[in-house]
Amino acid sequence: MESSGSWVGTITLANFNTSASTLLERWSEIYPTLPPWIWVSCSRLPCGASRKGEGYLVLENIHQFMLDEEGGGEEGKCNEEVKLHNVLLDDCGRERFCGEDDSFDHDMLVESCDQETCVFDFHIVYSSSYRVPVLYFYAYRSDGQPLGLADIEHSLPPHSLKILQEARWTYMTREEHPHLNRPWFMLHPCGTSDWMKLLFDGNLFANELIVKQYLLSWLSVVGQAIGLKIPSGILKWPK
Amino acid sequence: MAAESVASTRKVVVHLRATGDAPILKQAKFKIAGTDKFAKVIDFLRRQLHRDTLFVYVNSAFSPNPDELVIDLYNNFGFDGKLVVNYACSMAWG
Repeated sequence: MESSGSWVGTITLANFNTSASTLLERWSEIYPTLPPWIWVSCSRLPCGASRKGEGYLVLENIHQFMLDEEGGGEEGKCNEEVKLHNVLLDDCGRERFCGEDDSFDHDMLVESCDQETCVFDFHIVYSSSYRVPVLYFYAYRSDGQPLGLADIEHSLPPHSLKILQEARWTYMTREEHPHLNRPWFMLHPCGTSDWMKLLFDGNLFANELIVKQYLLSWLSVVGQAIGLKIPSGILKWPK
Repeated sequence: MAAESVASTRKVVVHLRATGDAPILKQAKFKIAGTDKFAKVIDFLRRQLHRDTLFVYVNSAFSPNPDELVIDLYNNFGFDGKLVVNYACSMAWG
């Protein structure tokens, strides 16, 4: 990586790995009771001639369901706009809110939204062709039935659904997972280096900080595409 | 706790900064309640620029979730009494 001025927004595999360990640490510090991101090394997988040090990040058992937002007209938001809440499972398999709404009547919400409950698995895989991280995800109902794109659309944040409707084939499609060789959904990586460059542009970031922060910054954008909330406090480095 | 509640009701100066191909707004600074969500800033930009999809991010290479409170963003990323919010019009995925 050269100086940030001439940087093109990409990351090397070695720096992806460095950035991944920051993501693992910060996620666990911010969400100590929630499922952690896990690093899966390719040497543990039957992926043949994979390069040394190659692996990917895994976050599994993320429950999501839809909930109609009541009222809330103060921001001029449409009342019919559907708001997504993320629910994560704790160690005992109970659902737990990821956010500030812990005061909600938990049982009531689960009961009223049971039909919509679906579970997401997220993988962050390094793309050697684009030299950027790529988000792969798989969604299934709580009974194990896999979800198609039409079902997933209902779980997407409104702005993400709009992008999907406008650019269906260049945003989110089903592709072969490079390590599992099964069809997973993925977010297209062609534009990633451009918006990563924009995200870091105009700042006097030291190269080490770009490397350290790359995946957290990337996830702040990508998370919004699929309704995974990344709190800004994740960038507050412990002293 | 008292100091915290005073802090959360304070106003935050948001400084809007055009990047990429985005036009510069006539009113690039405004005050917003710390208790407001970041969605309000995004909605303001959408209305001003007449665009539905925008790339909005703060000066620390972070794109905040619309549900985040402005005061939390200020506490994490603000300096000199203001929160710098960058916006670009084109943000292609594929």
